[in-house]
Amino acid sequence: MTTPPAPSPLGTGISVRGLTKTFGSFTAVDDLSFEVAPARVTGFLGPNGAGKTTTLRMLLGLVRPTSGEALIGGRRYADLPAPMGTVGAALEATGFHPGRSGRNHLRVLAASHGIPDRRVDELLELVGIPAAARKKAGGYSMGMRQRLGLAAALLGDPDVLLLDEPANGLDPEGIRWMRGFMRHLAQEQGKTVLVSSHLLGEVEQTVEDVVIIANGRMARQGTIDELRGEPAVLVRVADPAGLARVLQEAGLDVQPEDGGLRVTGADGACIGEAAHAAGHPVHELRPLRTDLERLFLELTESPEHRNRNLATGTEAA
Amino acid sequence: MISLVRAELRKYFTTRLSWSMPLAMAVLGGLFAALQGLFLAVIGEFPGPDGSMIVPAEAFGEDVVARLVYTGGVQIGYLLALVLGILSMSGEFRHKTITATLLAAPRRGQLIAAKLASVAVIVAVNSVAFTLGSVVGGGLTLALGDASLFPDPAGLLATFARMILVLVLWGLMGFGLGVLITNQVVALFVGVGVTLLVEPLLGLGLTFVEQLADASKFFPSQASMSALDLFAGVDPGMAQSLGGAQDALSWGWGTLVLLGYAAFMAALGWLLTSRRDVA
Repeated sequence: MTTPPAPSPLGTGISVRGLTKTFGSFTAVDDLSFEVAPARVTGFLGPNGAGKTTTLRMLLGLVRPTSGEALIGGRRYADLPAPMGTVGAALEATGFHPGRSGRNHLRVLAASHGIPDRRVDELLELVGIPAAARKKAGGYSMGMRQRLGLAAALLGDPDVLLLDEPANGLDPEGIRWMRGFMRHLAQEQGKTVLVSSHLLGEVEQTVEDVVIIANGRMARQGTIDELRGEPAVLVRVADPAGLARVLQEAGLDVQPEDGGLRVTGADGACIGEAAHAAGHPVHELRPLRTDLERLFLELTESPEHRNRNLATGTEAA
Repeated sequence: MISLVRAELRKYFTTRLSWSMPLAMAVLGGLFAALQGLFLAVIGEFPGPDGSMIVPAEAFGEDVVARLVYTGGVQIGYLLALVLGILSMSGEFRHKTITATLLAAPRRGQLIAAKLASVAVIVAVNSVAFTLGSVVGGGLTLALGDASLFPDPAGLLATFARMILVLVLWGLMGFGLGVLITNQVVALFVGVGVTLLVEPLLGLGLTFVEQLADASKFFPSQASMSALDLFAGVDPGMAQSLGGAQDALSWGWGTLVLLGYAAFMAALGWLLTSRRDVA
């Protein structure tokens, strides 16, 4: 028995080191290492089948790593004294007994940690399904299930939240609610949030840090601002060389791209006005994809990163 | 640990099974006990091995008749206990609640211990319902046949206690089976099929093999009958004519054999659960 580390004043972080999982000849997660900073929202991104869910399941002790370790606050999940008080997880494919009410589902989980029924009702209020949760779970919509899963994750008031594709199956209103809820948890309650998604746009506005994996391997990690790179604008005029000189004199970085100019260092309005003042009629002016968006598109669209869960033949687990 | 048992019990008491199963137990127990009473007390005679008519009340005494009547449904009782045990784990896989369960109880050895304890409690509660049903159903036909209802109260109480113990042990065997076969439908099919079909056929087959002719008394169903000690004080030849095994185990050995099966299945369940990936 190692002595538990003293609780950090900064909250509880996650560390994944050399994590590998093979199912037969199929390597789902391949020597993956990353850190999740305490009290921040980290996006865990990658195409479908990249190994996100397997990684989260290894963090939670549901799947045994082939090698490497996945620690929360310096400990394995199964070694946490009251796991639901440290980590709350809402995983995809978490089921509910169709004949048991959502409220009773939570009461069962609450009993395992000696949490009073009062807390169950508080959470049902918080996620907005206090009345519906008294009906049998068999009739719940996807949105209801997501909210119930989130309530289950929050039951023990954990420092760390692991959310697996929380926006899946939600309508636009539900997605907006989920985003606001995650921000509230991180910013006002100082919780560490790791949220997985296969859609960048779904989490881009919410997350501060990003870990991107593909084929079970690390593709890129950093803060979202670092990975986005500088915002760039594409501008088309009749005389690109002429406008380029004007913009470069104004101290902007200009590169020819796709018959127009790729300008970084200023937004569209500034560039439009500069072009107008210099007498260049603007034919087109639009913001370009950020580096992050390009990277993500590249990862999701390249054939070697196709969804391996759907692969047929011997390599599939 | 106690909180995990409480969670497991809450699981059971928040589904329909918590009232439908005891109800089924009581009704079926009553029905089969009444049927047994119909033969042993109301009709009250049947042809013996040598062709002469046997009158049970005279041949074995009233206390044996009452014992046989009240335990008339024990086979269906331990089948349902087996089902309860199977559902404890296979239900988690069927409804994919195993993920939430393991997040709340990640130390799997503790989870298995809590589940075993809860299966024991749940089957015990159901066994009480089963016994009450049997007493009502059996008592009805005993009264119809003008037989004594409780000729040997202390002895009957001991029989009921043994019946509850037998059912609990079957529940624990079922638990192991439910872990072994996570597909609930297959697990139930195998559990009921082995008990009702494979075991009797195998027992019959073994009677033709001289060296193994004795083995069938160690089978779960035969060991259960021994553990109930229904034929105490009855001539072995007579006992056989009532369905008792040839050269049956003593009730103590019968109980130990059942305990062995239950321990083996539970250990198997623990071993499998501690290694299994839940994806």
